[in-house]
Amino acid sequence: MKKVSSIFIVDDDPITVFGIKKMLKPVAICDDIQIFQNGKEAYDALKSRITSEQGIPEVIFLDINMPIMDGWDFLKEMIDLDIQERIIINMITSSIDPSDYQRWNDFKEKCPHQLNFKNKPIFKIEVSDLEGFHMAS
Amino acid sequence: MKAVERIEQHYLLRQLPQATALVGLDGSLVDASDSWLTLFSLPPKNFMEADIFRVMENVSDLKENLSNHKTFSFRHHLGEENDCRWLESTFTPWYDEKENIVGSIVQTRDISREVEKELEIERINAILKTKSEVAQVGCWEYDVQTEKLYWCDETRKIHQVPLSYQPNVNEAIEFYKPGYSRNKISMIFHKAIHESTPFNERLILVTHKGEERWVQSAGKAIEKNGKVVKIFGTFQDIHEQVMTETKVMENQQLLTALIDNLPLNVFVKDLDSKKILVNKSECEYLEKSPKELIGKTDFDLYDEEVAKISREEDLEVIKTLKPILGKETISIKKNGQTTNFLTSKIPLFDLEGKVSGLIGISMDISAIKKKEDQLRNLINLTSIQNKKLINFAHIVSHNLRSHSANFSMLLQFLKSEDNEKEREHIENMLTQASDNLLETLENLNQVVDINTNINLKKEQLNIHDTIVKVQHSLAAFLDKNQVQIHNEVDKKLVVKSVPAYLDSIILNLLTNAVKYRDPNRKPVITLTTKKLDRKVILSVSDNGLGIDLERYGDKIFGMYKTFHNNRDAKGFGLYLVRNQVEAMGGRITVNSEVDKGTTFNVYFNEESK
Repeated sequence: MKKVSSIFIVDDDPITVFGIKKMLKPVAICDDIQIFQNGKEAYDALKSRITSEQGIPEVIFLDINMPIMDGWDFLKEMIDLDIQERIIINMITSSIDPSDYQRWNDFKEKCPHQLNFKNKPIFKIEVSDLEGFHMAS
Repeated sequence: MKAVERIEQHYLLRQLPQATALVGLDGSLVDASDSWLTLFSLPPKNFMEADIFRVMENVSDLKENLSNHKTFSFRHHLGEENDCRWLESTFTPWYDEKENIVGSIVQTRDISREVEKELEIERINAILKTKSEVAQVGCWEYDVQTEKLYWCDETRKIHQVPLSYQPNVNEAIEFYKPGYSRNKISMIFHKAIHESTPFNERLILVTHKGEERWVQSAGKAIEKNGKVVKIFGTFQDIHEQVMTETKVMENQQLLTALIDNLPLNVFVKDLDSKKILVNKSECEYLEKSPKELIGKTDFDLYDEEVAKISREEDLEVIKTLKPILGKETISIKKNGQTTNFLTSKIPLFDLEGKVSGLIGISMDISAIKKKEDQLRNLINLTSIQNKKLINFAHIVSHNLRSHSANFSMLLQFLKSEDNEKEREHIENMLTQASDNLLETLENLNQVVDINTNINLKKEQLNIHDTIVKVQHSLAAFLDKNQVQIHNEVDKKLVVKSVPAYLDSIILNLLTNAVKYRDPNRKPVITLTTKKLDRKVILSVSDNGLGIDLERYGDKIFGMYKTFHNNRDAKGFGLYLVRNQVEAMGGRITVNSEVDKGTTFNVYFNEESK
């Protein structure tokens, strides 16, 4: 069991959200799990947390195809926020479009956070999905 | 007495106008006329010491001839080569009163002039002969009176008869080839004799050896007192010349036929880019006769810009001597007619190897070009279709995958879940997932239908009435949302459309406008139409939330793209509408301003199938 201060789940599909929440139970202890229907909601919440100096999430589960603001747009805006902490972002998608995988690779290069890519279906969340590789910097 | 006589005789002799001398039997000079002495440059006195052998020292056999005591004469010359005089001397026996020969009377004549003339004639004859041999020009002469025909050696040679051959007129005429040549020579020869008409003809001769050869036979009457006495003519073997000419003409004809019948425009230009040869195709293309084209430049025939480019090409070829091969060019004639050509320009050299112009060959490839454009359009169309297809495949794959992923996940949960309540929860989720999948499949089916039934029958439909009909079917939904609809469409306006599509387009645009209404305003939807060229534009405007087009742009017509946090938003309606409009050959555009409203414009294309 890993103790996590805060987790964001950004997905417009209630079934996936249900699944993630369920799979988190056996691996994480977290009192602050937030659900967002799209990237815009999540981004707004993130921004307000920074300004109000609430803790920012340690882990984000991020869908790609969402209305209003999709996963990629969210990532772009989030990088611009210049957050110092290294957040673990798990991108979860049913897309097997190679261009999505390519985009993830490009983002991984410039993103200061840890960016994982997970194809649906997922059956289990590992503790390692909630931990960053701590670089010796 | 004797002395007196002598003196008298002497005197008489001296004065004789013809140079005369008396020579004794021993050859001593007895007496001579002054003229004789002058001829031999002897002094008037003391000549008695001279004897005839010394005076005529270069005459051989003089002594023997003298001893024969007969009259004889000979030619001899005096002096050196440059100042040489020819003389003719006649020796006649000199008798005394008793008929005894006492010597010779010598009479000498200066014949230098005659000899000169003779030599000249000889020389001229020699020249004539050589000339005739070298030029292979023979001559002939016919005496009308005696009917005698004379041929020179060259004429004989041309006839291939022995040099001893003596022709007559009939034989001469029979040497000509039966038919045209023989008839012609008979006629003109007759005319020359009787009408004094000169002739000069090319005819075919059959020689003594049976060879057919081209000859040039010319003749001219020589008259005396108005009567034709002789026909003089020349005779020349022109066989090789005629053969060469024929060959050249044949070659030229072949070339002309070849150039004229090539399905290519061929032209030759000089160094000033003036046309000096054009073929039939070129004339037909320019709609002008060869005469009208020769000497013209491209500036006289084409649009100025085109002519400039062409002239530059010409100069390039002439300067670099490198041909331009198979270059795609566009020609615009003065009347604006545009033709695509595949043009080659090749430098043309004269016999000395100097560039004298260029040969141009152009192939009209307009038809090919047109086909190429059509093909390109087709490729573009195909590639658009292909993109659409790939896009659709992605949509299908993504949407189906997301549902199947949910199924897998939920079933996995169900397997290991013991809690009854939680199991029930998962089962609910499964039902929901199943419903979602069904709906997605239904949506996808609709799209497939639209894209496969491109040739659905279009009908003339009244837009106004269709709107009223859709409004009717949506009555409950519109009432609930307190929607105001202004149907401002021209009541008589009809468009060609697939009925089901027009219903769907209007229905989706209306529900879309209501779904994205501004919660702070009562929704107002205005429908108008406009005619533009051959298109009808249906505009559906609302006073809803509006959308940031700069941000989302064309994505709003994408499948499952929604941009508002709205429960009813499925992101399918506009995708469907766009597919239906495009399937009918039209298009759809959107204008929007956030917080003001959105207008969709549907273009119905009247011209498409």
